[in-house]
Amino acid sequence: MERMTPLIETRGLTIGHNRKPLIGGIDLRLCRGQVLCLLGPNGAGKTTLFRTLLGLIPPVGGEVALLGQPLSALSRTDIARRLGHVPQALATPFAFSALDIVLMGASARLGPFARPGKPERARAMAALARLGIADLAQAEITRLSGGQRQLVLIARALAQDAAAIVMDEPTASLDFANRLQVACAIRALADAGTAIVLSTHDPDQAARLGDAAILLNRDGVIATGPIQETLTEARLTRLYRVPVTRSLGTDGRMHFH
Amino acid sequence: MFQLTRPLTRRALCAALLALAALPAAAQTRIVTDDTGREIALPENPARVFAAGPPAATLLYTLKPQAMVGWVSAPDPEDRPWLRPETAELPGLGRLTGRGDTLNLEVLLAADPDLIVDYGTVNPTYTDLAHRIQEQAGLPYVLIDGSFARLPRGIRAMADLLAVPERGEELAAYAEATLAEVDAILATIPEDQRPTVYLARGREGLETPARGSINAEIIERVGARNVAEAETRGLATVSPEQVQAWAPEVIITIDADFAANVAGMPEWQGVPAVDNGRVHLAPAVPFGFIDAPPSVNRLIGLKWLMHKLYPTAVQGDLRAEVADFYELFYGVRPDEAGLKALLGG
Amino acid sequence: MDERALNTALVGALLAVLILGAAIGPFALSPARIAAVLTGDRSDSQAVTVLLNIRLPRVLAAAIVGAALAAAGAAYQTTFRNPLVSPDILGVSAGAGFGAVLGLLLGLPVVAIQMLGFGMGLLTVALVIALTLALRGAGQVLIMVLCGIAIGALAGAGISLVKLLADPEQQLPAITFWLMGSLAGVKRADLAAALPALLIGLAPLLALRWRIGLLAMGDDEARAMGVDAGRLRLLVIACATLMTAAAVAMAGVIGWVGLMVPHMARLLTGPRFDRMLPAAILIGAGFMVLVDTAARTVATLEVPLGILTAVLGAPIFVLLLARGARPWSE
Repeated sequence: MERMTPLIETRGLTIGHNRKPLIGGIDLRLCRGQVLCLLGPNGAGKTTLFRTLLGLIPPVGGEVALLGQPLSALSRTDIARRLGHVPQALATPFAFSALDIVLMGASARLGPFARPGKPERARAMAALARLGIADLAQAEITRLSGGQRQLVLIARALAQDAAAIVMDEPTASLDFANRLQVACAIRALADAGTAIVLSTHDPDQAARLGDAAILLNRDGVIATGPIQETLTEARLTRLYRVPVTRSLGTDGRMHFH
Repeated sequence: MFQLTRPLTRRALCAALLALAALPAAAQTRIVTDDTGREIALPENPARVFAAGPPAATLLYTLKPQAMVGWVSAPDPEDRPWLRPETAELPGLGRLTGRGDTLNLEVLLAADPDLIVDYGTVNPTYTDLAHRIQEQAGLPYVLIDGSFARLPRGIRAMADLLAVPERGEELAAYAEATLAEVDAILATIPEDQRPTVYLARGREGLETPARGSINAEIIERVGARNVAEAETRGLATVSPEQVQAWAPEVIITIDADFAANVAGMPEWQGVPAVDNGRVHLAPAVPFGFIDAPPSVNRLIGLKWLMHKLYPTAVQGDLRAEVADFYELFYGVRPDEAGLKALLGG
Repeated sequence: MDERALNTALVGALLAVLILGAAIGPFALSPARIAAVLTGDRSDSQAVTVLLNIRLPRVLAAAIVGAALAAAGAAYQTTFRNPLVSPDILGVSAGAGFGAVLGLLLGLPVVAIQMLGFGMGLLTVALVIALTLALRGAGQVLIMVLCGIAIGALAGAGISLVKLLADPEQQLPAITFWLMGSLAGVKRADLAAALPALLIGLAPLLALRWRIGLLAMGDDEARAMGVDAGRLRLLVIACATLMTAAAVAMAGVIGWVGLMVPHMARLLTGPRFDRMLPAAILIGAGFMVLVDTAARTVATLEVPLGILTAVLGAPIFVLLLARGARPWSE
């Protein structure tokens, strides 16, 4: 695994807005099938990091590489073919169907004047089926539950056919059942080979889903590394600035209080 | 009620007049009743008069130009040679009546008039407007009915206000003679020999005053039939197809561009007036022949229209009549070149 | 309904409306005479004049104006992610209106009035874009829209000023009528002038309609899916402005169509822009032809189009809403 080309790699990355550095020294390395969890309080720069990885804002310093190629050398379409995006929520005033939304994911692989045809439609349906929501294809997204909408957005990222996907708090504001459903879907994707970076407020979920973690707060990067070594009591206490205790459940999983 | 209050009002006015008379600078005043029925105290011999709108300005110009304090809008350069030199350079002060009041009352007061005259429609709106401005500006505001049918009477009434009765009598007599002459000629022309007329305005010729509008009154006065019978009594916009359907025998226009171009405009082909070359451009300096403004200037328009509409029935030299009218009313007698510029040919 | 079947039906409806528009008018022409003229019979010169110089150019102009306004409205609603947006949002109508009434005030020839209207419409939007860029708000739709409102208000003030300065007897009625929209004076030459602007504006919108549809998801999402959102929006604005300015220069200010027709189309096709745009173009063209046919036939005088689009459009729109179809989120 170490010898493979990392799908996402950052070297000495400094992120920020309008050339004002927010966090520096971010070194990430994400390979096929890995889930990297981003933990940190609100305002720590998680979304800024995502937007930098997606090339939506330029890095203040350092470098991002997607599949070994520097981000600065890639066009919008090139980036979209390498890295998918699942936003926190849908932000459109129009009542698209689930299938409409998923079809949009095909755009990066279509010519500028092309519209999605039969193959794209088949791929979109496959993506929906893979997440177990094929029956919702024609449903209006406004009538779907929060979890279903999140699954639709993940299906869109799948239809984009990118090797890696970044997900901005995919389970925030979901109820328990929906959260479970989305988390299972994410793990299944990773097990099938997609590399995933996701942000979460829930260390338990990170421990369950993640292979690696990065802890960010206003002071900068608190820790990076494999999940077991990174999610320690001391580091989480430092991260959230409240005492955190870790216990091992009967299932062998970590739990945080 | 009216009967009871009337003497009271008179008494109050008399008291006010006595008070005014006591002031050393106050001029002699008299009481008149204008066409709104209001009794108004005005100077015996108004020396500085403001006309509230273009029809009043034209009438004032013909009756007592020396009393004008300004125009509603300053005369265009092409109008100036046709006006008495002492009035051509007077400023445009703005209008008080009709759509778009553009006059600041302070500008009005700065011009220092002793009387405001208006000549036109008498209805509750204009009556109220006259009353309000009179109250606000503290100046007498007189409104005279400007309808075409009562033109001679309007001239006399205005002349009386302005204290120029002889001048008024002269012009009113001309008006009466002109109207009588029109009626005498029309009596010899059967209804079915009177042409249908379309009055074209605007560059495209598609704006037209509908039957019953003040801008088209003159067409009916000369016995012609205005084809534009529409849902309005004002200015209508119509399609060229509608004009085709109306098929007017004569087109009268006040737009020089339209008159010059209509023969070559494809959508006007087939209209009898265009095919037969009966499109006539009404002269417009210094005042229009058809309307613009609807005032005494229309008297020469009547004669001109009679010549254009009934070329066989009407005798007389139009050029001489125009020259006489300009001299009598406007105080400027056009020479041959002037007549050619005015009437063409 | 299937996309192709729907578009076929809409094309059929548009053709029917065009035929209706060609058949009706104040100048009585029997269907036989119309058919004769259209098949090349030139013997009846007055029928030829009425049909080929007056009625048909006007019917086609109405179709062009309707298509342009509907397409511009559809594109704006999608790119600005707001179903309440109309083609006027960046001030193009106010700017074009100002240019044209200025031309009327100065007494320019009709062609010059139209060019001035067209030019001022383009200039107004260019000014809005320049202002937005200067404020570093390129990525921010709100800043652009606020700049549009500000510049549009200036143009509106200019229009009021022109009205004030106009001769109330002759120019003011013409200005007022022009601002309410009319196709009464349309000629074949006007058609020839407006058609290229429509085609140049429409072609990129149609060709790129799938990608433009992604802008409905917001800039970040569209970019993450491989679309250069900022540049694409500028292209959409340029195309929509070109078409709207051409329409306004020819027909005056006509409200409602650009706002309402995209909604009608969306009810038939759903919100996908690539499907909605062709439907909106066809509905817009047909609706405008119907409205203009009413404008020249319900009364002897021309009824301004701005009045009719609202009088006919508002009830239809409310009826559609009452039937519960709301293709946007609440």
